[in-house]
Amino acid sequence: MYNLFRFIQKHHFVILFLVLEALCVWLMTLTQGYHRQKRINTTNDIVGSVYETGTHLGDYFRLSKINRELAEENALLRQQLTVTFDTTKGYQQVVSPDTVYNFIPARVINSTVNRPNNYILIDKGSADGIAKDMGVVSTNGIVGIVADVSQHYASVMSLLHSYSTISVRFKNDEEQIATLRWENTNYRYGLVDGIPTHLRPRPGDTIVTSSYSYIFPENLMAGTVVELIKSPSGTLNQAKVKYATNFATLTNVYVIQHTDLAAIDSLLQLQQVQ
Amino acid sequence: MNRAAMNIIRFVGLVIAQILLVNHIRLGGYVHPYIYLIFVMMLPLNTQGWQLLVAGFSIGIVIDLFMGTLGMHAGATTLMAFCRPAIIRIVSGSQKLEMNREPSIDHVGFAWFLRYTICMVIVHNFTYFMLEGFSFHLVGQALLRILISVPVSVFLIIVMMYLFSSNKKKGKD
Repeated sequence: MYNLFRFIQKHHFVILFLVLEALCVWLMTLTQGYHRQKRINTTNDIVGSVYETGTHLGDYFRLSKINRELAEENALLRQQLTVTFDTTKGYQQVVSPDTVYNFIPARVINSTVNRPNNYILIDKGSADGIAKDMGVVSTNGIVGIVADVSQHYASVMSLLHSYSTISVRFKNDEEQIATLRWENTNYRYGLVDGIPTHLRPRPGDTIVTSSYSYIFPENLMAGTVVELIKSPSGTLNQAKVKYATNFATLTNVYVIQHTDLAAIDSLLQLQQVQ
Repeated sequence: MNRAAMNIIRFVGLVIAQILLVNHIRLGGYVHPYIYLIFVMMLPLNTQGWQLLVAGFSIGIVIDLFMGTLGMHAGATTLMAFCRPAIIRIVSGSQKLEMNREPSIDHVGFAWFLRYTICMVIVHNFTYFMLEGFSFHLVGQALLRILISVPVSVFLIIVMMYLFSSNKKKGKD
């Protein structure tokens, strides 16, 4: 026993180092994997409030830019208003009449674009009606999916995430769906997988969300094709896509609340049980 | 100023500067400068080994909490703190230093401090990006990030040190 104490005393520097490193590795394993990543609550209110204060300070230097963005968005919404209420064609609804979506406005208070898995912190939480798995969009296009909520803040898994796969389709082809994911390189570009060879997307073609998901409404802008990457085996092609959203300059977003989500969830669970 | 109080202020100041200012530097998505390492680097030369480790681990874990990278920064800063005595020995060579002082530029000289900063930043960035890369199976990416981020971190730390040292002189005189 005495020898053990002597040993510890003599090598306490190395032993403490190993203990602390083991602790770090254990902490890292806690946050690996999609479901575990979501379970660990990194969106606590203290962290959120520090970022929020920082954002408020920074806002004074960005006021003109924020104003310009809001003005642009206003213009866009006005334009849509005339389309929606076009008197010659009668009433056109933007989304399908069976589903109802609420858009909750939120402010981005922290975001990353340069990590392998990127998250966006927003200033609305469960108190504002935000829950896990809700879609998030900006004026320009889709942004991500809510991963974690605290009372006043939520953490959004952005499209720039290794687990992010979004069901999309080409705007000029109603039928064929494909998957949009991030290739972990540049925050402006993503990759669409599973394009059948009969489709020949050209650079500049628009990619929108498909109707195969209840997280995002159909027809939301996702990005534009940059180039088609032919598969060497000649089966399913890929396409490099420029995201419609610039994640580095994101300030205002909308969280999409699907009012029938509870019903859909219980149906899906019923399906799994059977 | 009391050394403990000084270190607490430095800890809080560096964490805030890191998460609110430096994290917004994102040229092309590959640059990740880390200036919070200054906290471990600037502990007095005669700091006990266990104090170095605890200091490194604690600032790392606070940064982790803010960045949602639980364990990664803490792991990197703990290793850096572990290597610090050896790095100081190698960098010093035959140069004699007053052991109860901080390794500031006006104490140790620019050349010493630059070598010291480069070694410390390389140890930290290499560990951090490898942890990040391994956990996401992207080692090639990690190497690229290290190559780009090390010079930027070193540059920012040197700049910060000049800001710090001029402030301190005003306070003392």
